[in-house]
Amino acid sequence: MIAYLVNLATLVCINAILAITLNFIMGYAGIFSLAHAVFFGVGAYVAAFIALQWTDALLLQLPAAMLIAGTISAALALPALRVRGDYFVAASLGFQVLAATVFSEWKSVTGGIGGLVGIPPASIAGHAFSDPVQFLGLAGVTLALVVVLTRAIVRSSFGRSLKAIRDSESAALAFGKNVALIKTLSVFYSTAVCAVAGVLYADYLSFINVESFTIDASTLFMAMVIVGGIGTVWGPIVGAVLLTLLPAALTYLPFLPRTEIGSVQQMVYGLAMVLLMIFKPDGLMGAKRGEA
Amino acid sequence: MLLLQLIINGIQVGALYGLTAVGFSLIFGATKIFHFAHGASFAISAYVFYYLYAVLLVWWPFAILAACILVVLFGVVLDRYVYGPIQSADGSFFTIFVGSFGVAVVIQNLIGTVFGRGFISVPSALSRSVETLPGLYVAPTAGIAVVTAVVCFVALQLFLGRTNIGIALRALSESPALVRTFGLNPKAVSTCAFALGSLLVVPAAVLTSMTSGLNAAIGGRVMLISVAATIVGGVGSLRGAACAGLLLGIAENLALWRFDPQWSEAVTFLILFAFIVLRPSGFFGRVVTS
Repeated sequence: MIAYLVNLATLVCINAILAITLNFIMGYAGIFSLAHAVFFGVGAYVAAFIALQWTDALLLQLPAAMLIAGTISAALALPALRVRGDYFVAASLGFQVLAATVFSEWKSVTGGIGGLVGIPPASIAGHAFSDPVQFLGLAGVTLALVVVLTRAIVRSSFGRSLKAIRDSESAALAFGKNVALIKTLSVFYSTAVCAVAGVLYADYLSFINVESFTIDASTLFMAMVIVGGIGTVWGPIVGAVLLTLLPAALTYLPFLPRTEIGSVQQMVYGLAMVLLMIFKPDGLMGAKRGEA
Repeated sequence: MLLLQLIINGIQVGALYGLTAVGFSLIFGATKIFHFAHGASFAISAYVFYYLYAVLLVWWPFAILAACILVVLFGVVLDRYVYGPIQSADGSFFTIFVGSFGVAVVIQNLIGTVFGRGFISVPSALSRSVETLPGLYVAPTAGIAVVTAVVCFVALQLFLGRTNIGIALRALSESPALVRTFGLNPKAVSTCAFALGSLLVVPAAVLTSMTSGLNAAIGGRVMLISVAATIVGGVGSLRGAACAGLLLGIAENLALWRFDPQWSEAVTFLILFAFIVLRPSGFFGRVVTS
């Protein structure tokens, strides 16, 4: 039972990091990406590749994953500079589909559909985090760091510039803000930290395959942000907790056949998204527009 | 010969893509709603046709009629009870997108639960290929697809150009306020757009169920292609959406010449990506960057 709860708590931490980073670009920069799972995947694959080929040192995997994810984020920043709104959502959706194909076809690096197995647990300075409780500690500390760092950025002048761009790009431009640079940097930050969650995920599960990084995952992350409340500090965390625990809770419903649990989950997310948009578009933790 | 075969397959697929994309584009042009659940409309009509025709063995015109009625109902109900309330309360693109996306997710999983996630197709003599030239196989459905697409498109143009409702639809895409000034109810006109746009997926859905078959995730695929075709063709341009649909179908099939079939979707998105970065307004569109 304890092991089960520790497992859930670790997954909550990882999902919360993902939701926070997605909220950073969605809520503050107004970039609605449906490709977040791509960077999650890049982080996971880079960590797994390094761990399997060279070393299990976390402090080496992290910068490598962040750098590679951040570089690939140019593919997201480029359309974000050109178009807004629905067009960007469509572009990010395309990017997600493209990346999922690469994940499942680039067999020498990603292991194809079968994925990568036997990823050794991460270690810092020779100490391996093979005990789940210790790993939970690692994930919790990382989450706390991400929360603090993201809050600091949002409250800095950079964060204010971001919100200004979200609310009116031309006004921000008129005030001399370098819109292109600010957008690119925010996407870079979001995806780099997202890759951190991927590294933790790969090291924790010791098995990854493309299933975790598809459009379904991106939808789930977006649902977390939306259910919790977009553009709020605690919203993504609340959303991550709710949507991670929901599948766990659903398995306890005796009348649901095992094979349909996945579909029922998806239906619940979908329905929750529709109903929230109709009745409370700002999410559970949402403030009135303009206060955030 | 292989190349010619791929081009013919591409035209068949592209004609159906074009038809679906025109429905999407019509809805988006008139109502400014990015109808992500358009793929769900496609899936609903395809599965209804499959169930009635292939399982219950209903005569095909009735099966098609039932699919039409249900899909129009679906579009109208969505417009009235999902998009309507959202638009009157908030109306930002994002809220509508999430609502629409949620509907698409629900429908896809509902279909998966009811009909299973496996691959199904409607058996039909029309989809049996005949060797027309040495090494070149063409099924009657290819011809039917092209003829249907052309007929529907011409009929749609006549409808939009000649009838009062059609003119109102075009007016709505120009200026909702002016529509109201002329004594028309924009909401009723937008319901018409949804009914008509949804209706346009039926021929494509029925023909797809006979040729390449269906699975529960088909709605997502169709949605992606409609969105891509609308953007590549230029938003608000039905002609553009039709041409872009055709182009995407042909490109997807030509890719098979050199790459494995898993990459065909990737080709669609490389084209979309290139257009968004290099020419966001598409073939015939107006500039839409902000």
